[in-house]
Amino acid sequence: MQYEAVIGLEIHVELNCATKMFCDCPNRPGDEPNRNTCPICLWFPGAIAKFSGEALEKAAMACLALNCRIQERSAFDQKVYYYPDLPKGFQLSQAHRPLARDGWLDITGEDGKPKKIGIHHVHMEEDVAKLVHETEGRTPVSLVDFNRAGVPLVEIVTEPDMRSPHEAMELVRVLRTQIRYVGSSECSMESGTLRVDANISLRPKGTTRMNTKVEVKNMNSIRHLGDAIAYEIQRQTASLQSGEPIVLHTRLWDPEKKVTTAMRGKFSGPCVPDPSVPQIVVSDAWLRAMTSKLPEMPARKAERFAGQFGLGREEAVMMSAERDLSEYFEAVVGRGINPKTATHWLATQFLPALRERRQSVAESTVKPDRFAGLLAMLERDEINANAARGILSRLFETDEAPSAIVEKSGARQISDTSALEGIVEKVLAANASAVSDFRNGVSKALGFLIGQAMQASGGRANPKLIRDILTKKLGA
Amino acid sequence: MPTHIFSYREPSPSRPGTDGALSGMKVALQPNMSVRGWPAEAGSKALERYVALEDATVVERLKHAGAVLVGNTRMSELGFGLAGDTTSRALSEGHADCALVTDTLGEARVAAATAGLWGFKPTYGIVSRFGLIGLVPSMESYSVIAANAGVIAPVMQVIAGRDERDFSMPDLAIPEFRLDGNGGDAIRHVAVLKESLALLSPEDGKAFLPALSRLEKAGFSLREESMAEFDLFRTVHQVVGAVEASSSAGKYDGVRYGHRAASAKNWNEMYLKSRAESFGLTVKAYLFQGAYFQFENYDAFEDACRIRARLVKAMENLLARVDAVAFPTQRKGHPADKAETVSRIYEAFLLTLAANVTGLPALQIPGVAGDGAFDPGLQLVGKRLSDARLLSAGARLHR
Repeated sequence: MQYEAVIGLEIHVELNCATKMFCDCPNRPGDEPNRNTCPICLWFPGAIAKFSGEALEKAAMACLALNCRIQERSAFDQKVYYYPDLPKGFQLSQAHRPLARDGWLDITGEDGKPKKIGIHHVHMEEDVAKLVHETEGRTPVSLVDFNRAGVPLVEIVTEPDMRSPHEAMELVRVLRTQIRYVGSSECSMESGTLRVDANISLRPKGTTRMNTKVEVKNMNSIRHLGDAIAYEIQRQTASLQSGEPIVLHTRLWDPEKKVTTAMRGKFSGPCVPDPSVPQIVVSDAWLRAMTSKLPEMPARKAERFAGQFGLGREEAVMMSAERDLSEYFEAVVGRGINPKTATHWLATQFLPALRERRQSVAESTVKPDRFAGLLAMLERDEINANAARGILSRLFETDEAPSAIVEKSGARQISDTSALEGIVEKVLAANASAVSDFRNGVSKALGFLIGQAMQASGGRANPKLIRDILTKKLGA
Repeated sequence: MPTHIFSYREPSPSRPGTDGALSGMKVALQPNMSVRGWPAEAGSKALERYVALEDATVVERLKHAGAVLVGNTRMSELGFGLAGDTTSRALSEGHADCALVTDTLGEARVAAATAGLWGFKPTYGIVSRFGLIGLVPSMESYSVIAANAGVIAPVMQVIAGRDERDFSMPDLAIPEFRLDGNGGDAIRHVAVLKESLALLSPEDGKAFLPALSRLEKAGFSLREESMAEFDLFRTVHQVVGAVEASSSAGKYDGVRYGHRAASAKNWNEMYLKSRAESFGLTVKAYLFQGAYFQFENYDAFEDACRIRARLVKAMENLLARVDAVAFPTQRKGHPADKAETVSRIYEAFLLTLAANVTGLPALQIPGVAGDGAFDPGLQLVGKRLSDARLLSAGARLHR
């Protein structure tokens, strides 16, 4: 029998607020353990949660980025369970009345066609403390770090609309782009600000029934997500084919062995309305203010880039996928650089250079004005591409203007025909065999001679002129 | 240093300036109200050796107004009921001019009634709960007991009002607590609920009658009203209260403060043993009831929440027809100080807990009911935010 996978995702996103969700402690989970704590997030007797307006705004922006309807009223519940990472005995979460419902995202399916994936709802919740298990001598000890307790999260629950690992991976990529765009989170699976759990069930192809699902956790990259889902589909298919029933449970992805293994049944406690955190009532005016803060989102920006700057679809998508890059691109183009040149140089030179230096676009000291200055010299034939690459790496190391670097290093391109003719003469004289090869029809000898001439100029010759002069002199 | 009345006695109460609104007034607190540096054990082993880290908002305001905080009286475990509570004695024996009492079921009003004192529970949400180590957040309120209304009003004036540290406080216009409120909005029409009188023994009923004639003599117009749902107040309080208590007390794990079991195999057993050894039988039973509704019968809890909304509405409707409702405060056969099971506690507070379920202000007035042998007290429950008018009405009755 042919089976079809039904996949839904539960995605936790850590919001990049300055403070925690219910107190004024800094939202910096990575600090020295238990540094960012207070009577509220340690939940000492007499503490009262103080809901952060910034958390609500960042959460709402994320909801808008996912095309959700923000609910007029939402409320916090106590998700009751007893575990050392949650010493107040309940987690504040929105179980009954989530912040937003009914969103969607467009992904590109395996066939290249767009597909809509529904978002069931988005709710806010606080993160719990982090447990660190160690041994002191031979005694195992568990330490609790409260820096993460109360860190603001949103949980995004998709509809079970995905059918393949590819679609799930795509959904996470698009969701990440959207949420990064509105600035609510860095959405990094590697550093844990984006955590994805997948619910997977199978059914005979062509049927519409929802069968028992299995939850898979512990994937810390998009690739692992795809691998884990693929493995789980395979495992469940084998089970069904051998007549074993699928039981509801949770499995952990093991990235080393590339398998999922069943984990101990997780206790799921009740959710009761919290009597102390006030209900959230969203006014039209507030919602309008939030909506007006939405930037131009990537899909629309890509369309504009294609139309306004004549970029191909792929180029337009690439230049709009990250907000910082898209703004960088527009700043460069705004300084008169040809959009195609800008795209090419950003994609093939600037971004790899950033990756090499582990920098983000925003962190880079090579601001758009200096990068545009470099490309402008290239476009005016003042330097050649080879020199431009060298100058780009100098830009990362100094604060100097590209023109100053060019002057100092003498990289300015030689476009003076008489000077170039002199160089070419010398090259022809020194490479008689290549010249005769060329005359005997070995066309690649021309490339060799151009290379020799470039080298003789210290890499500064205008390669186009060299080629013209060589061709003329060889009488081709 | 503890005494039979105080679990903590401030050895050198501050000598305040003379300019504060409460300058020199001696105020007794309960050990679940945070005073920086004072033990705050809330009558429970679960908070053994816990010392408050900062002042509750109410405490900060009392200090600022020049009140002298004399110490913590003894209280029932986590403020549930009045068993072992010594607050009214602290007043009767002259240790303090007034006392703050956590009123969850009616503790302040009943404690006052048993001692012939005034007891006032304000409208829910006008006094900050920041720093109050509570049990049932949606029902409990700081309340004031004193020998006369003239002490309660200025204390309320000081402690009521917005607090940015308590986000659960609605944005309300707080009434000004004056006792000369005889204007157009003064309380005139008072209802007596048939269903509440039906809960009285003939003896209690007789003892309550003088309060009604006193009201009429003082110019209040009385009428009998009916509220068919009245008996649901208790059920709703018990279900919602137990669930909230179960959540609130979930944090007492004996790890960072409080009693911790001597040995355990693992953390789970440590929790279980510490909690088993910490809580008294009454609180344990109440927490079990709450856990039952949380884990096993959530539907019943949801029903209770819905019924609570209906009861709030019913009281609102009733208070649209009259200015206040009169109840006895206590019944003779149901002494609160001896009630040590959950059901006995609920029996003892049957006539006061409606104000906690609805969040309405309620005032216990001494000396107007009673047959010489037993004073059931007179309790007036008023509209939301009619706090000052209730106090004025009480004062009028004693004029």
